[in-house]
Amino acid sequence: MGAEVAEVAQATRVTQATQATQGPRVAQGPRVAGLPGLGRDDALVSGGAVPGAVRPGEAVPDDAVLPVLPALQGLLPGGLRRGSVVTAGPWGLLCLALAAGASAAGAWCAVVGLPQLGVAAAAGAGLDPGRMLLIADPGPGWPQVVASLLDGFELVLFRPPDRPSAQLRRRIEATVRRFGGVLVVAGEWDGAQTRLLVAHQEWVGIGPGHGRLRARRAQVVADGRGAAARPRARWLWLPGPDGSVTIADEASGSREPFWPEIRSTG
Amino acid sequence: MTSASDAPCRVLVVWCPDWPDGDARAFEQVVTAVEGLCPRVEVLYPGACAVGARGPARYFGGEEALAVKITDAVACHGFACRVGVADGVFAAQLAARAPGTGRAAHAGRAGRAGRAARAGRAARAGRAGRAGTPDAAVIVPSGAAMIVAPGEAPAFLAPHPVSSLGNPELADLLPRLGIRTLGDFAALSAAEAANRFGAQGALAHRLARGLDPRPLVPRPPSADLSVSTPFEPPVEQSEPVVFAAKALAERMHAGLAARGLACVRVQVRVICADGQEFTRLWRHDGLLSALAVAERVRWQLGGWQAAHSGAAEGAGDADEGVQAGGITLLRLVPDQLVRNTGHQLGLWGDAVINDRVARAALRVQALLGHGSVVRPLLAGGRNPADQVTLVPFGDAADPLFPSGRPWPGRLPAPAPATVFPVPLPARVTDESGATVTISGRALVSAPPARLSAHGEPWLAITSWAGPWPITERWWQPASARRRARFQLVAEDGSAWLATVQDGQWLIEAGYD
Repeated sequence: MGAEVAEVAQATRVTQATQATQGPRVAQGPRVAGLPGLGRDDALVSGGAVPGAVRPGEAVPDDAVLPVLPALQGLLPGGLRRGSVVTAGPWGLLCLALAAGASAAGAWCAVVGLPQLGVAAAAGAGLDPGRMLLIADPGPGWPQVVASLLDGFELVLFRPPDRPSAQLRRRIEATVRRFGGVLVVAGEWDGAQTRLLVAHQEWVGIGPGHGRLRARRAQVVADGRGAAARPRARWLWLPGPDGSVTIADEASGSREPFWPEIRSTG
Repeated sequence: MTSASDAPCRVLVVWCPDWPDGDARAFEQVVTAVEGLCPRVEVLYPGACAVGARGPARYFGGEEALAVKITDAVACHGFACRVGVADGVFAAQLAARAPGTGRAAHAGRAGRAGRAARAGRAARAGRAGRAGTPDAAVIVPSGAAMIVAPGEAPAFLAPHPVSSLGNPELADLLPRLGIRTLGDFAALSAAEAANRFGAQGALAHRLARGLDPRPLVPRPPSADLSVSTPFEPPVEQSEPVVFAAKALAERMHAGLAARGLACVRVQVRVICADGQEFTRLWRHDGLLSALAVAERVRWQLGGWQAAHSGAAEGAGDADEGVQAGGITLLRLVPDQLVRNTGHQLGLWGDAVINDRVARAALRVQALLGHGSVVRPLLAGGRNPADQVTLVPFGDAADPLFPSGRPWPGRLPAPAPATVFPVPLPARVTDESGATVTISGRALVSAPPARLSAHGEPWLAITSWAGPWPITERWWQPASARRRARFQLVAEDGSAWLATVQDGQWLIEAGYD
């Protein structure tokens, strides 16, 4: 059952990614990237569907959103809005899952301040290690490092070494908006547009003294500001038995084995 | 120079046998020693350098005396070297490696395993034959130089096998045609050699006749093709200089390309705030990329840094900073210009990384240092920490452990999302509070009941699996490990990969 879901998810990932940028719900900015003066009015008109997506004087990126994994579509309708800051609670697989959809669709991803990132898990969730760059220790000058990276990378995955001041936060948010990337913060960020959190989790496949970790059933809750204000919750396999992230059944009674081989070997 | 100077000038080559590949920093000390006696040292590759012998030999009273002085100077730094003097770099290199100079144990290997593909770069022949560390304990007795008299180079080269040319194709083809020595090859007419063996053959033929691999450009260039960049205020760290060198090298290459030229060598000149000036020549042959030139600047700065601090080679990183009050100017001077015969860029490859990403990554490298920005490569291996190899951005490398092998004992999917670079010490106890131990037969003393990672509060363990014993590299005592793995799930729902080694519990990774 779970394996089938995973397969379907694999097959639909690419199409979902393209749909996300073409769907009618998505604000399609005019293609005037890098020209702040031109097309601003058009951007405001067409960007009306997503209030505050584009502010005057800022460059309008090619597409207004970065795609997300199909499993996260229910939590983040449309995808990750460019120029936004997203938090995903303390460091964990959820941060990687957030970045995976865009990375699979061709975006470059920089990871700052997270020396403990498991690259194999990232690859399992759908990130392309070939389009990843790791900066384990940005040092005290991390705001400058993050700003430099936002210039080139569409996705920056970042854990702040300390709680940044409101002024510093606003400066970084302005940089995010100017370059049209997405900053995924592992930790606290007061001004985040979207917040995701693992509310409940349960590992399956393992018992007291037998089995092994097979998959995690996790309830992920998303809330935020503006259009994303209404909290949404979804059950996900985070990760599934093959390391990918897929939608899990709502019913919590799905603890029956979906890996027959373990039973047959006893 | 005119065609009369087709005969190469006198060259002295200093060759350190068995130099470890890529140890450019330590070689800097050898170069410094040689430079103390003669200016304009050219580094052929880490392990060999060349100087023009005519002037210094006259100053020191003969080539023999010069060779002795250089051998002694290098020996003072604790390195063994051999010296060869002949007409042209190629002959001088073979002379340095010839049996009879110093302890000539490995001289017969010279060039045979040459992996340099181009005969024009035959100067690099024989690199692959070296391994191990420089034998610092042995001091080469003076008088250990092989000196080939002027004009005798063809005769000296004649008995050498054609494999010394460092061209694997020719080394394979010529013996099958009955041409076994350089003498046999040189006996062919130049036109015949070019007709039969192409441009490579023509170059090799020049080498075999004791000539320079390609004719030098007749006169010095009229335009100044050197490029420089000032640093204001002076830069203390070497990283920004290396960063600037990349852009500078691109400018130099563009200037050369506009005139259809390539340089055989590039001179890197650094001027410090206190007026000190450091220069070094590096082999270029029109083949180095901008990044590779910057890499040589890094070696050079790293070498001075090591020399300044008086520390042993290899201590500290190149980005620790340069002494002498900071660097005010970096200049790249193309040296020995030749016509660029061109080389084809790969159809795929370099263009994969787009410009914006590369620029951002380089900027962060300039801020934090070359090694701080890494690309992950998925690799094989049994442990989560082994399964990724981190490669500095801009470098090429292969994974430490090849992937695609079975790796019995590796952890099954899903992979942990958190892999601690240094495993966290932990405590795991049973119900009674005693630490859980594993016997030699992989039996658990009692079911693990409580967990405290890295001094955190105690958590009850709800599920656990293990122990899975793993014995690695028992044939290599230094890296042998014998451990048992566990997967633990705590009451807060978090899942961990723990190992027990020598009775000590460690948290290696987290799954959440």
